[in-house]
Amino acid sequence: MESEKINKEITPMPEEVPEWLLDLDKVGFVRRLFLARKWYGGDWWFVAISAVLLVFFIFVGIFPQWFAPYDPREEVGPSLLAPGEAPASYLLITPIESGDIRFIDIADRTNNIGFIIGSAASQAMREVTDELNENAPEGVRYQPRQQRYETLEEGLQSLADGEIDGFIASPEELGETLDDFPTLQDAGTLREEGERGFIFGTNQIGQDIFSRIIWGTRIALIVGLSSALVSFLVGVPLGLISGFVGGSFDRVLTLLMDSLYSFPGLILAISIAAVLGAGIGNIIVSIAVLYVPTYFRIVRGQTLAVKEELYVEAARSIGTKWTTILRKYIFPNVIPSVVIIFSVNVGDAILTEAGLSFLGFGLPPDTPDWGIDLARGQDYVRRAWWLITYPGLMVTMVTLSFSMLGESLSEILNPRLTER
Amino acid sequence: MAEKEVLIQVHNLSVEYKTRLGQVSAVDDVSFDIFKGEILGLVGESGCGKSTMGKALMRMIQPPGKITGGKIIFEGEDIMTYDENRMRDFRGRKVSMIFQDPMTSLNPVQRVDEHVVEAIQVHEPKTKTEEALSRAGKLIKKLGIQKRRMDNYPHQLSGGMRQRVMVGLGLVLNADLIVADEATTSLDVIVEAKLADQLRQIREDFGVSLLVITHNIALVAEISDRIVVMYAGHVMEIADVEPLFDDPLHPYTKGLLKSIPNIQLDDTEELYKMPGEPPNLTHPPTGCRFHPRCPYRMPVCVNHEPPLAEVRPGRHVKCWLFIDHPEKESETIKVEA
Repeated sequence: MESEKINKEITPMPEEVPEWLLDLDKVGFVRRLFLARKWYGGDWWFVAISAVLLVFFIFVGIFPQWFAPYDPREEVGPSLLAPGEAPASYLLITPIESGDIRFIDIADRTNNIGFIIGSAASQAMREVTDELNENAPEGVRYQPRQQRYETLEEGLQSLADGEIDGFIASPEELGETLDDFPTLQDAGTLREEGERGFIFGTNQIGQDIFSRIIWGTRIALIVGLSSALVSFLVGVPLGLISGFVGGSFDRVLTLLMDSLYSFPGLILAISIAAVLGAGIGNIIVSIAVLYVPTYFRIVRGQTLAVKEELYVEAARSIGTKWTTILRKYIFPNVIPSVVIIFSVNVGDAILTEAGLSFLGFGLPPDTPDWGIDLARGQDYVRRAWWLITYPGLMVTMVTLSFSMLGESLSEILNPRLTER
Repeated sequence: MAEKEVLIQVHNLSVEYKTRLGQVSAVDDVSFDIFKGEILGLVGESGCGKSTMGKALMRMIQPPGKITGGKIIFEGEDIMTYDENRMRDFRGRKVSMIFQDPMTSLNPVQRVDEHVVEAIQVHEPKTKTEEALSRAGKLIKKLGIQKRRMDNYPHQLSGGMRQRVMVGLGLVLNADLIVADEATTSLDVIVEAKLADQLRQIREDFGVSLLVITHNIALVAEISDRIVVMYAGHVMEIADVEPLFDDPLHPYTKGLLKSIPNIQLDDTEELYKMPGEPPNLTHPPTGCRFHPRCPYRMPVCVNHEPPLAEVRPGRHVKCWLFIDHPEKESETIKVEA
């Protein structure tokens, strides 16, 4: 009696199993993802972050025109403008006597506008004039005559003398010189609203880096996804059949794939790309060739392992056809490990594509592509850090999100890991 | 009892494995019959060719193994002459198999019902899925698995349930023979007892024959009608259960039965251990394969292999003790009927 009582005290009743644990079998995929941290110790927030990032990147890749403010191939501003920096705005100098006038008032064909030789003021004036002409009513055409001067003083003097109607100079060029001419006034900036800046700056040919990056996402995703898909579609069936059939067929194929695999990846891709020539299709093919052995090896190895499993033998013992065994027994048991590889591979392929373009074997030179931007920007790395920083960041982020998603999904969903 | 119908006749079956060390004759010149509706136990120690025998019955020996001779007569035809298509039909519809490890013998990515439906559709491709499902449902119920378990994946079932599903896969096609290859080995004793009960029940309900391959003598004693004792690829003795346990004839059978742990052994007695090791089958012993370990060894045993002789109706022994030979010095033991 006594011992029974003690027994009862020291052996605790098994804790009641919570309802939600019992129901775990019934929960769906999404719920399981959310419960993953509890059950498998997987880093679910890794998945969440990378998935959100990827969804965003894919969205950007599908609709770049919604995000990019400029045409990525168009020259839209001065070259090598730092991020956020507005291009130098030019000042219009007019005689005080002409009163409160704007550039538009003196941009007629009869007007003379002066500037210093070699100053970017001429380009700024041409741009503003073009804009004026675009918005001008029918029949009106702005085209002021340009007068070039060796020095600022020379130009201002002739303006003060009434030989020209206005003078254009940047504030830096102007300095304090205007104070020497009491009859002249600063009539404000050339463009009324002032100059717009570029969020990530411009490159050496005046293209907007932000727009190029946005459009580059599309190229990167197309190349990454389709080359991973092509190698998946080639490598997986080959591996399945090779592992399943075995024998000399398997040996020859394995030898072939191993020899492909033994090449340094980028060099192989370069040689294939060099043979095929530039173009997005050729790039996809040459990167795909690179990754076929990866799929092949993994699928073949898994097939060899799964083939020996008892359930395959059990399937044969009830007379299942070998095609059915391959389709229903081996393939579904092999595929989980491949899906993970796929995700990691997409990231890898994007990196390789950037590498190829960087080395000049990739896409046509005017394509808005991260690799090309990186290659072009490296010459200016001391002067203009933004040329390579932003494309580089994008490559890193997209590659990282794909790898992160793949790795952590494998951790969470791999049933073999969960059993431990 | 005497008028039992023969389901499968195994005639002089031999299976060899090619290894780097030479030919291994895993099953050598084995003959026995399986009657309709009986449970036949196939016992022997590890590596004696029991499992190979079971697989050979379905011609499922994979390279480097090969069936090198003999016949398996089923419905008056030798299945060795079947082509691949016919063989596929034979597997599953006529003979099906339950495997040793229930944990891995079901496809982890298929639900229970998918397994059963597939088994049906493999052999009757015209069967509609709904019909197959209802058949599967009925059968599953008979096997004592709840119906809601039908859409479970194998990892959600217990070992015993999985074995029952495997049994079900054999039964759903009305197989004539189910080969249970160490089917209960990895189950605990309680589940094992249940499964053994169920196997007997199935035999009664469906009239199938069962070939129970095991090294668990207690299990075969419990469920079998007859027992085949194998040693080193040879059949040593075939007998009904009770005579075999009451009066084992072959020295190997005697040793085997003595080696069973018994709770009644007291501290002074030691469990009998058979001397020697099982032979290396790349170079099997001459004569009787058991002679190096046999306590009753005679000179004749070393040089001449004894035939499997029927010493009494339904009782076969492969031992010179019970068979005459001109070189023999001692007297042949007469077995009383």
